Amino acid sequence: MRLITHNMLSCNIKGVTNGFPLKIEAEKVIEKEVDFNPDFLRHMFAKIEWKALVEAARSMGYAELPEDSPDAAAIDSADETFLRKLHHALLELHLEEGALVCPETGRKFPVNKATFWTHIDSVDQSGGSASMWTT
Amino acid sequence: MYRWYGSLGVWEYPVNRLRTTVACPRDSIITLCSFFRFRSRMIFFFDPTETHSRDRPTQKETHREPTLPIHSPSPLLAVLSFSGFTEALQIHGGLKPMLLYVLRSIRISSRARYPLFSGFISIATSKMRDVKVRANYSKSTDEDEILSVKSTPEIEKKYVHRVYDAIAPHFSSTRFAKWPKVAAFLDSLPSGSVVLDAGCGNGKYLGLNPSCFFIGCDISNPLIKICSDKGQEVLVADAVNLPYREGFGDAAISIAVLHHLSTENRRKSAIEELVRVVKPGGFVLITVWAAEQEDKSLLTKWTPLSPKYVEEWVGPGSPMNSPRVRNNPFFGLESIPETEVSMKEQKAESSPSFGLESIPETDESTREQKAESLPETKDSLGEHKDENSVEELLEAMKMNQQEYFVPWHLPYHRAEVSGASASALASGLAKKDDRKGAVVYNRYYHVFSEGELERLASDVDNAMIVDKFYDKSNWCIVLQKAALNQD
Repeated sequence: MRLITHNMLSCNIKGVTNGFPLKIEAEKVIEKEVDFNPDFLRHMFAKIEWKALVEAARSMGYAELPEDSPDAAAIDSADETFLRKLHHALLELHLEEGALVCPETGRKFPVNKATFWTHIDSVDQSGGSASMWTT
Repeated sequence: MYRWYGSLGVWEYPVNRLRTTVACPRDSIITLCSFFRFRSRMIFFFDPTETHSRDRPTQKETHREPTLPIHSPSPLLAVLSFSGFTEALQIHGGLKPMLLYVLRSIRISSRARYPLFSGFISIATSKMRDVKVRANYSKSTDEDEILSVKSTPEIEKKYVHRVYDAIAPHFSSTRFAKWPKVAAFLDSLPSGSVVLDAGCGNGKYLGLNPSCFFIGCDISNPLIKICSDKGQEVLVADAVNLPYREGFGDAAISIAVLHHLSTENRRKSAIEELVRVVKPGGFVLITVWAAEQEDKSLLTKWTPLSPKYVEEWVGPGSPMNSPRVRNNPFFGLESIPETEVSMKEQKAESSPSFGLESIPETDESTREQKAESLPETKDSLGEHKDENSVEELLEAMKMNQQEYFVPWHLPYHRAEVSGASASALASGLAKKDDRKGAVVYNRYYHVFSEGELERLASDVDNAMIVDKFYDKSNWCIVLQKAALNQD
C-alpha cells in the first residue's frame, strides 16, 4: 500500500469522528520504482494532507520530507528535488506488512502482502467458516 | 435440571412451525403459566448481558452464543441464563434492539444444535407485530438503518461474499473484456485523475487509462489478492462503507456491484458513498444489471426468489432443499404451474408476486408486514387480480421479479484448486452438476428495473444525474457531485 492511498484512508467504524489519519505500524517496507510525473504530483499536492503524509513517511522510514508544506502557489515553481522527494514518498514506498491504527479507537487494520483490510462487520460476526474478515 | 426465571412479558414466535415463547424472565411462576398457556414447544431465556456490545468497537471476540446449559434431543425446552434485565436494556439501547439481538442469538444457537431449524418466520401476535414490522420497515429509525446498512445481511454473506471468494480465480479469468462505455468514461477523465473503483473485482478497469491513478477496493479478499499480484493499488473494503475521506477522488466507478446489495438502504448508501468520496464536481459512473435482459433466455437459468425469502435470515442447507422452498412454487427453474398461481392470486391482496408461507393464523399480519417492508412493490399489480387470464397474471408476477439467484458454474478442476468448494458442498451452499462437470454456486442479485437506479440516485442530495442509458442489459448512470459554493 502506498502513501498516496494512506493519505486518503480514514477509519470507517460507526461513530468515529476523528479517524484520520491512521497511524502506521510498519513491519516491512519496500521500494518500487515508479516513473516520475511532475504534473501528476502537482495535481496530487492539492489533495494531500501534508502533515499526515510527513508523519506516515517517517513511520515508513523516510524522513526527507520537509515539515512545513510549501504553499500551493509555490508548488508550481517548486524545484525538482522537492518533487522527487514527494514522488518517492507518495508512490515508491510500499507498506508490505504491518498495520494501520485508528487514532480514536485504537482498532488495528492489518496490512498483509500489501493488501489492506478494512471490512468491518460491526454488528454481527457470525459468518461461516470461510470468513476472513478482520474482527 | 432446569433453572427457572419468571417472565416480565411473553412473546410468541412461530419458529419453523414450532411455537416458541421468548420470555424476559423475572418471576418463575408466571413463566411456567405462560408455557402452558401458549402451549409452546420452546422457551428461551436469554442473557442479553452476555453479549458483545455494538458500542465497543475495539473488542476482539466475535459473536458469542448465549449459553445453553440444557441439551435436549428434542427441542422441548432450552434455557439460557439470565440476569439484569434493566442492564441489558441499557446495553442494547432499548427493548427492540435487545429483542432483535435475542432472536438472532436463538437462531444462531439453535441452528448449531438443530439442523432442521432454518430461521424465523417473523410473525407475532398483535402486540409484537408493531415491533417486528418496524424492524423490517425500510424508513425506520437511524438505529435500524445503521443495523441494516452497516452489517452485512446473511444472504449477501452466503450468496455473494462466500461465492466470490470461492470462485475468484475462475471468475477473474473470465473477466477480461473491457466494456466500451466504461472505457469511454475513463478515457474522458483529465490526465492525472485519481479514480476510485468500488467493487473492482479482478481489477479489470484499474489502470485502463494510463494517465490516471486508480485505487480499487472489493469485499472479496481473493479477488483483491489477484489485483495486488498484478501490482495494482487495492484494498479490501465494503462499498457500503468506504474507508476513504471525503472528496479525495476525482472520479469514481462502480461497475456491476450494486445489484449484489440486498436492501434498498444499502444500495442507496453505496451510491452516497461513491458521491461522498469524489471531489465537488467529480463524476461517478454506476452500472447495474437490468431486470429487462436483452437475452430473455438467460432468465430461465436464474432462480427467482420471493422477496420474503430474501428478507429473512437464510438458514443452513441449500435453499433448494428447505421445506419452505419445496412448498413454494417460485423456487424452481420450470415455469410456475398455472393452477397454483390462480389460487394464490385469490388469496393475496396487495402483493401477488410473493410466495405465501403456510402459517395458519397470521395471514393478515404477514401481508401487512410484507407490503410495508418492500417499497419496490408496484401497487398497480392489484389491478391485475381482476384480469381474466392467468397468463397475464404470470407475466405480471414475472415482471415484478427482481431478486434472483444466478448460477456460476465452477469447473471441477478449478474447484479443487480453490479448496473452498469442499466446505461449500458440505454446507449446501453449492451443488455438483456432473453433467457439466462443475460445482454450481448461486449468486444473489437484485436486478434493477427501469428508472430504479435513477430514483435512488436522485435521492442523493449533493449530486446530479448527468447521463443515463441502457447498454447490454445494464442500467447505467453518471452522476456529478455538486460543486462547492452552490446551493
